[in-house]
Amino acid sequence: MIVCVSVVGHQNNPLYIQSFTDADDALKLHHVVHCSLDVIEERVNNPKKSGTTLNEAFLGLLYPTLNYKVYGYLTNTKVKFILVTTDLDVRDTDVRNFFRKFHAAYVDAVSNPFHVPGKKITSRTFAQTVSNIVGSYGLN
Amino acid sequence: MVYPPFSPFSLEYPPLITLSQLVLEVISEDRLLALRKRAELDSKYVLFLNHSELPLSLPRIASAFSELALAYYREEARRIKSRIEKRSSTSLDLIVRYCFKVAVYAEFRRDWGEALKFYEDAYHSLHEMIGTSTRLPAIQRLVEIKTIAELLHFKISTLLLHGGKLTEAVIWFHQHKSSYDKVVGSTEYIFLHWEWMSRQFLVFAELLEASSATVQSFSSLNQGTAQIPLTEFEFYPAYYYQLAAHYLQNKKSALELLVSMSVAAQEIDGSSESITPSVYVGQFSQLREKGEALTLHFITDEEYIRYAISEAKRFQDSFEIVAWLKKSYESFTNLKSRRMAAFCAFEIAREYFGLSDPSNAKFFFDITVNLYRQEGWVSLLWEVLGYLRECSRNLGAFKDFVELSLEMVALPVTSCDDFGNLRDKTYGPGGPATVSRRESIHREVFTLFCRETELISSTEESGFKFAIDSPLHLEIDLVSPLRPVLLASVAFHEQMIKPRSLCSITLSLLSHLPLPVEIDHLEVQFNQSTCNFVVRNSQKPLVASPSSTVQSGSQEENEPSLVLVPNNWLRLTYAIKPEKSGKLECLSVLAKLGTRFTISSRAESPAAMEDSPVWKHENYVQSLPTKDPILAVFGQKATQVEEPEPQVDVSLGASGPALVGENFTMPIVVTSKGHAVYSGELKINLVDVGGGGLFSPREAEPFSLESHHVEICGIDGAEGNDESESETGNIKKIQQSFGLVSVPNLKEGESWSCKLEIKWHRAKPVMLFVSLGYLPQGSEANAQKVHIHKSLQIEGKMPLVINNRFMLPYRRDHLLLNRIKPAPDSEDISSLPLNEKSVLVVSAKNCTEIALKLMCMSIELDDEQGKTSCLIQQGGGGGETSGSANLAPGEEFKSNTVSVLPKSEHVLSYKLVPLTCGQQQLPKITLTSVRYSAEFQPSTIASSVFVFPSAPQANSTAK
Repeated sequence: MIVCVSVVGHQNNPLYIQSFTDADDALKLHHVVHCSLDVIEERVNNPKKSGTTLNEAFLGLLYPTLNYKVYGYLTNTKVKFILVTTDLDVRDTDVRNFFRKFHAAYVDAVSNPFHVPGKKITSRTFAQTVSNIVGSYGLN
Repeated sequence: MVYPPFSPFSLEYPPLITLSQLVLEVISEDRLLALRKRAELDSKYVLFLNHSELPLSLPRIASAFSELALAYYREEARRIKSRIEKRSSTSLDLIVRYCFKVAVYAEFRRDWGEALKFYEDAYHSLHEMIGTSTRLPAIQRLVEIKTIAELLHFKISTLLLHGGKLTEAVIWFHQHKSSYDKVVGSTEYIFLHWEWMSRQFLVFAELLEASSATVQSFSSLNQGTAQIPLTEFEFYPAYYYQLAAHYLQNKKSALELLVSMSVAAQEIDGSSESITPSVYVGQFSQLREKGEALTLHFITDEEYIRYAISEAKRFQDSFEIVAWLKKSYESFTNLKSRRMAAFCAFEIAREYFGLSDPSNAKFFFDITVNLYRQEGWVSLLWEVLGYLRECSRNLGAFKDFVELSLEMVALPVTSCDDFGNLRDKTYGPGGPATVSRRESIHREVFTLFCRETELISSTEESGFKFAIDSPLHLEIDLVSPLRPVLLASVAFHEQMIKPRSLCSITLSLLSHLPLPVEIDHLEVQFNQSTCNFVVRNSQKPLVASPSSTVQSGSQEENEPSLVLVPNNWLRLTYAIKPEKSGKLECLSVLAKLGTRFTISSRAESPAAMEDSPVWKHENYVQSLPTKDPILAVFGQKATQVEEPEPQVDVSLGASGPALVGENFTMPIVVTSKGHAVYSGELKINLVDVGGGGLFSPREAEPFSLESHHVEICGIDGAEGNDESESETGNIKKIQQSFGLVSVPNLKEGESWSCKLEIKWHRAKPVMLFVSLGYLPQGSEANAQKVHIHKSLQIEGKMPLVINNRFMLPYRRDHLLLNRIKPAPDSEDISSLPLNEKSVLVVSAKNCTEIALKLMCMSIELDDEQGKTSCLIQQGGGGGETSGSANLAPGEEFKSNTVSVLPKSEHVLSYKLVPLTCGQQQLPKITLTSVRYSAEFQPSTIASSVFVFPSAPQANSTAK
């Protein structure tokens, strides 16, 4: 189950963070997402060391922590998408599919002429789309 | 000496017999052989020792021992392995035990592969026991299994890491963790599980740390398999230390909960004191007295739990947690994983906070808070600030408390969080990040410092043990986290203003506090302190408060109300009258709230005002600081106050052109026309005007070179003003293109002059800048200088253009014409006939508009032979030398100057050599005067001569 998704901007500032859990761990998830930025930084700075190819947006598993697994995705504009899931057995293709859909939703949201780049994404349509994508995750 | 055999059961392992040399001397060799055969001993187990050569014999004994030991272990292992293979016992316990034994024997034999295999077999068999074994009471059964699993895991990890198989070790740890993650046992006593989990992480962290010295570049290892992908962090001991601390935190809180919930757990049972770990790993028993003897008894689960609780309570988990997290923090800091390190710092700080150690907690919270501020993680920041606020409250740091509270309430926490995102019930002391919570903190802080003095006695309720009646002053600058509390934007309406005339200034204040704030008065401060002014709130009683910034008697404005409504600009426009010229800049705006609290906010220009890069107040309508949109976009907090009109005249007395080489004199006259001149200074600058745009690259030489072409030679002090110069101790500084002269004090109507000497080394136009700065009102401390600027472009000209050329010799013999024909390139190098007199025509042309006095000309040859330099002297000849053209053939020169003198007579004479006879034309002479446009034209008769064919020569003179 996806418990949290997040969009993080250039300066590692959160642009959108939404948790999908009834438990009282929203703040914990904020910490998890924030810490995962270290891994992204490391992967981006040392692409050879981590074995990821440069032109691949999907960063794969960032790190496992406690009961969560954290996955990352880096767009061409250096905006980061972070996914936190409680699933132990995660198929890479599912995560890739998720990020592809999420990316499309993000592009739609920031294409809004009223959206100021670098500001938080407050669009309700985006929030709705994201929760739909999260709901359909792993179903197909 | 006879050593006992290794095994009491079998004679397969022969005794090792060593015989000393002494024995050999007594017993014959045959007898010894017979004895050995009788005892059925292999010859290799009988060693002869020479006591004198004992050190040499020892290795032999050692190798014999090790060989025997190896054989023994191999045999034992084989024996036990056969039992496992036969499955003679269906009991899993025994299989675990056998596998362990085989593995230990394999370790003795340094057979790491087999050791690993059997440890793993033991581990897997043990795992199968969970839920099937019924040997012990439920809780103790699980405790035993987990303890043995821990031991086996330790063995396996150690073997893997020592073998350099880092990736395998990490994968193994993951499998171990996930196998037992859910094996919690009784949820009531979950603290046992957390403690066990914590120990697994800790042990693995320590193993990893110890082995990381040997395994250097694990990053190059193939990270994980397709099934189990591994990430960078999983190779760092810091990651495991952090999680060990996390599990221990879980254990701590579970234990605290258990102790607080159950009465039984609170009582420390005396009977649990006699419980000790049994000789069997993972089992516990009680020592009971039975008559004289002490016997060990199995215990019930209840007894065990009491024992476990009393043991757990003895440990200070917090110190362990802090120690591990600190290791983790340092390690992550070294790895430049700032966020992980910050998270560890946060956890450490929370632990210290729980231990009521606010100063240590504050140290680590501060590390965290800086990163969250920088990256704008508002909800995390809110939480940390909440903790820090409590720390400052406990430390009695009132100013910190106010600052942190204000920062918290001004955070852009979105209102939807009230019912949406952050429903975390495990809040820090800051509470939930909601609008209502912000409002309550706001009220708390403002009541603290805004209430009247008589209420201060009750400060203890706020947690502050001292009277907080001392004034509190907060400074907010552009990078302060408190900037959203009070944003001051100041815009002058004009970019240039006249001195002593009114100019408008708009003051806009914005606050992101959740509730309206009433300001008692505002003080606006400028770099010119005379402009500072106060804005008073008419609704507040006038309190004569001492102010360090605004002088008494300065401008005061009154406003019917000064209330900062959240997220709305408070716009105030006033007129101020600057006294002094120069830059007038608004520095800060100081707001006084209540009797003791002041906030000083650095003034910002609307044009340069920017939001924090990561810090946004998204949910509010953005409005402009001023109503005038142009001012809101381009407004500046500084303006330029013009100088008063100068009432002194500076005149430059000459215009040029100047001649190259001449000492050009430029009289400068300073005349007072209404202002007296005090401490006057004349600055003189020569600037090359070639740089205007139309200049070739060659001309754009470095300035130092250029400056040599035109230089200031001297400044001739004022005529007849020598005494005043000495009075004022004048400066006179001259450089090649810069001069500084001080002007003596002049009263109204007086004048002073000096002469500037400039010399041109090359024909070049220059710009002469002269600026006079003076004080019109004597030498007061705050007086301002008035400046007058004058400039003049002066051309530098070449006075003379000198040309020279050789005359070809006249054709004395026309038959020789071909021989003396000039070479085609004769223009450059004239070829001259040898041993003949040649004529050199030298002309000097006056290019100026004025008469020049040519003193002399000299001709020098740079040829070695030609030491025939000559000086051409023109006695007293002066005036204009027009082009000395039209030289007739046959006219001979070694004096080559022709002077035409105004109001004087000049005789031009020349010789003619006729070549043919008959009527001949004389050289035509034309005289043109530039000044009078007169022309001389001799008549045709006067300009012709008849040459007779006969021998006599004809002479003619023409005038």
